[in-house]
Amino acid sequence: MSVDLKFKFFKSAMKLAMERTGHGAALGLKLTKVEKGLIEMIFPYKKEVIGNPITGVVHGGVIVSLLDTCCGCAAITVAGFATVTPTMDLRLDYMQPAEPEKPINISAKVYKNTSNVVFCRGVAWQSDMENPIAHCVATFMKLSKKK
Amino acid sequence: MDERDHKLTNFSSKDFELIAIRSREIGSPQAIIDAIPYGKFIGVEASVIENEIQYTMDRKKTNIGNPSLPAIHGGVIGGFLELASAIESIYVLEINAVPKVVDFSIDYLRPGRYKKMYASCTVLRQGRKLINVSSNAWQENKKIPVATARCHFLVP
Repeated sequence: MSVDLKFKFFKSAMKLAMERTGHGAALGLKLTKVEKGLIEMIFPYKKEVIGNPITGVVHGGVIVSLLDTCCGCAAITVAGFATVTPTMDLRLDYMQPAEPEKPINISAKVYKNTSNVVFCRGVAWQSDMENPIAHCVATFMKLSKKK
Repeated sequence: MDERDHKLTNFSSKDFELIAIRSREIGSPQAIIDAIPYGKFIGVEASVIENEIQYTMDRKKTNIGNPSLPAIHGGVIGGFLELASAIESIYVLEINAVPKVVDFSIDYLRPGRYKKMYASCTVLRQGRKLINVSSNAWQENKKIPVATARCHFLVP
């Protein structure tokens, strides 16, 4: 019971941190699902982040930011409150260009959690999750906040 | 802003081609960045220093990832390096279109402090179909990199 309450608090704290501060707020992303080891987000289309002015497709860097945020959040949910999880590396494969003026869905999952490293996988998709825009794998370090 | 919006809706591949050619003529890759809205969003600028393009990203509140440190968002560093790699291939390889990115891989070496960030790129190989660009980001000292990335583009 206490664990559930703790997680509930954690959930809202994470939502606040991601949606109201810094780059997350600038992008205007929304967390739609927070579970242990699973995060889902939605990014509404924004004119300011266009990467190809001819087609209006968002820049690849936005997808990097979204997947990094999403995978990072998923890593924190399994690592616990007292840890920070800096990204070690991230690899992204672009399968197809995003369609302009449509929101982008992001989903990230932790597929292995070890004592020092968290391994995550994430996808970005628009209408069909089986036909994604991009797929990424990212690894995160587990560092204790207390020193 | 209105002018920019208007420009975006009527932007053709010919316009981009002219911008790319013009930027090479005047020796300033900044003109290409100005055509890409994402460059302005994260605040990227470019200048040619000793025959090498140096990219800079100013400190910006909207680029913060961790407000308690504060540190620059890892995704922003990724976006910065990806944008720099794209500009490098347009400018150096004389490509007059937006290259399509195939994959992007980044290693974070140190936290990006809330300061100005610099980047430089190297085109490792240009084939008939693919371009491989490697890029580095640093803050105070070029010898102390913050992140290093590698990127593949399809030749348009």
